[in-house]
Amino acid sequence: MANMSFSPTALPGSDTIFRKRFPNGSTFLAYPNSTSPAVFFRGYLPVGSLSDPAGKNGLANFNAGMLSTGTKQHEFRQLHRLLESCGASISISAGALATVFSGQCLKEDLPLILALLMQMLSEPTFPQAHFERLQQQLMTVFRIQSQDTTEMASQAFDRLYYRDHPYAHPELGYPQTVSTICREDLLEFHANYFGPEGLVIAFAGGMESEKTAALFEQIFSNWNAPSQQKQVDLPVWHPHKQAMREHVVIPEKSQSDLIIGTSAPVGMSQEYQLCALGNNILGQFGMMGRIGESVRERSGLAYYSASTLGAGLGPTTWKVVAGVNPNNLDKAIRKIKEELSRFITEPVTREELEDVKQQALGQLPISLESNSGIARLLLSLERFQLSMDYLRELPAVLEAVTAEDILTCARNYWHLDSLVIASAGSTP
Amino acid sequence: MQFKGTSNYSGKAMENAIARTGGYSNAFTSPDWTAYFQTLPSSALETALRFEADRMVNSLYDAVEVETERTVILSEREGNENDPQFLLSEKVQQAAFKQHPYRNEVLGSTEDLLRLTRDDLYQHYRNYYQPSNALLCLAGSFDEDAALKLIEKYFSPIAQTETIRSTPTPENEIAQAEKVELLGPDEVNYIQIAWRSPKASDPDFFAYTLIESILSGPSTLNMFGSGGIGNRTSRLYRELVENQFAASVYGSLSASIDPGIYTLYITCRDDHSPDEVIARFNQVIDSFLNQELSLEEQETALKQARANFAYSIDNITNQAFWVGYAQSFAGYDWFTNYVESLRQVTREDITRVARHYLDPARRITGVYRNRDGVSNG
Repeated sequence: MANMSFSPTALPGSDTIFRKRFPNGSTFLAYPNSTSPAVFFRGYLPVGSLSDPAGKNGLANFNAGMLSTGTKQHEFRQLHRLLESCGASISISAGALATVFSGQCLKEDLPLILALLMQMLSEPTFPQAHFERLQQQLMTVFRIQSQDTTEMASQAFDRLYYRDHPYAHPELGYPQTVSTICREDLLEFHANYFGPEGLVIAFAGGMESEKTAALFEQIFSNWNAPSQQKQVDLPVWHPHKQAMREHVVIPEKSQSDLIIGTSAPVGMSQEYQLCALGNNILGQFGMMGRIGESVRERSGLAYYSASTLGAGLGPTTWKVVAGVNPNNLDKAIRKIKEELSRFITEPVTREELEDVKQQALGQLPISLESNSGIARLLLSLERFQLSMDYLRELPAVLEAVTAEDILTCARNYWHLDSLVIASAGSTP
Repeated sequence: MQFKGTSNYSGKAMENAIARTGGYSNAFTSPDWTAYFQTLPSSALETALRFEADRMVNSLYDAVEVETERTVILSEREGNENDPQFLLSEKVQQAAFKQHPYRNEVLGSTEDLLRLTRDDLYQHYRNYYQPSNALLCLAGSFDEDAALKLIEKYFSPIAQTETIRSTPTPENEIAQAEKVELLGPDEVNYIQIAWRSPKASDPDFFAYTLIESILSGPSTLNMFGSGGIGNRTSRLYRELVENQFAASVYGSLSASIDPGIYTLYITCRDDHSPDEVIARFNQVIDSFLNQELSLEEQETALKQARANFAYSIDNITNQAFWVGYAQSFAGYDWFTNYVESLRQVTREDITRVARHYLDPARRITGVYRNRDGVSNG
């Protein structure tokens, strides 16, 4: 076993994480820290852009944005005066599979903030004036995005990679789809998909678990939505077998963004853990791993160049990203391909493997550095249906990984003849 | 270049040793200081101290590495130049300070980045990287006596040399209103408006902090970690965004050793020209300066400050950051007394400070416009 400077039993586990499921289908998690004057929470409802109707891409995101514009009990200004006058915040946004929310407040304000969250999720009024305002704001966002090399490269990558799968569409939608959304679409979407079934919320910080669970029950247990539908099923997706390349021209940009990617395993699965260790070696460890060493440190081609491994319940991606001068785009692609080739032909060295195992172990206590981080962690345990003792069990899982395991994973996912490469920026 | 190796350790060896603990390290530069930080398990404290002491005197500044790093930093600058807001803020900064170094973008101009020599860098390093010119902050779980012994072990052998420094003359005022304009290909118009702000050690800075909170919403105290407070009840959001003149507005007030700037960032909607937005903005400021502040607004700003402070100590790295940051311009108790200092501010203070600093005749107005007039403007 690699050296460990802490006992795994000191990590959150089934005996210290409070978890309760309520009859209306909602789930509550908490991990208290009595020294904190604040409470941090995160949660989700299982509906996202996957449920956007055809031609209405961006509806789930639009809906999430409207939830904080007024409720049956509080119009916009009242709602935000209540929130901001106590220094609290609640943010809501939509991903592909879930509408996610997060917030924070001083612990004495938690009853008020939870009540407001409940109203925002269950009783939004979608005021017409705010609908029009948000629609205009989204149009401005689209115009900003159209000049953003990072965003345009990302969208091009998703288009190529996901093709006819719903993930090919940006969660924000498109100007032409968002402009056709009307208030009635939002009312219908909310009525169809919003309810307590599948709601998960995780708390960390200065609250007490049982008292907060009772408070949550008092506020949320009356939320029943008999018409709540399950999100549409995620279509099956088959990885492509051929290389694809797209460059989006955005004139007069000093830097181009580059993404080279492939498929990745389901988040937090056993195979995912292997890939995560491999990904650290490939493009994270130290100054962005092997990729950083080659593209940034040795070649001086980019300020950032790293690899990222997505963690999702649906199909997701393993990517190498870089920001480079337009004239260096092809050179950066060559350098990255060289590293990928090495990654799938040679096992990682014993030293590299030991490095990333030690890192993964050391990160466990550091991940508890903040209460907001703990709330995020609790939510991941629930979202990926992991054991509440996942963190405590992880050291043994990591210990068992071999260099051959990582090579097998690398070969399973990276195929140099079928890479998807997207970039955006000035013409090289 | 401080990450490129010393006579004792290669850059990679240091990076990897920190990463191996599960920790992370990096550095960032403000106009007033440069900070190196490491967050790692408390059992690895000695590793962090050994590396920091070593690179305080033994960094190599290898000539070949300088050339590689030059292109990396040029690349960082090119990435920033992709954003019209960056280009505009650079112009606003230059207009707001005529001679003080705060006029220079921290990253440096492309011309300077191309011109800097290895010897320029090394001279800067040898002059400023001295124990007598350094501040070390620790936060987290450690034994104080043991930590002090380690600090002494690694830093006391470093020879004492005085840093030769130039003390810039503070620019206490923006002499006159100035407008800077930038044309470019991006389709959205942006506005940045900057006023002088007092130095952070000036008691008026606390009144200014409440002014910021009321006008544009409170700035987060989180350099690390997450969490801020919204600004939808701030006066500028209500008047500009709710009334559909702008897509967004937010403010930025930084604590600095010398007087700095308070900047408002406005993203225009395409149905209002920048001039129309500025006219509306002026009405908001005029009303703020000439009407009595409500008790509710003051109390809200205070509560927000208390909450912001609570969020800022949620993250241990942020605790160390703030203690050190506050020490650089005042003393660490500036941070620990932050909420109490704000509580001492009266409504009269807020009005007096607002009238002194938020003078329309002493501000910089920056506008980025699409050069082809795609947006209304």
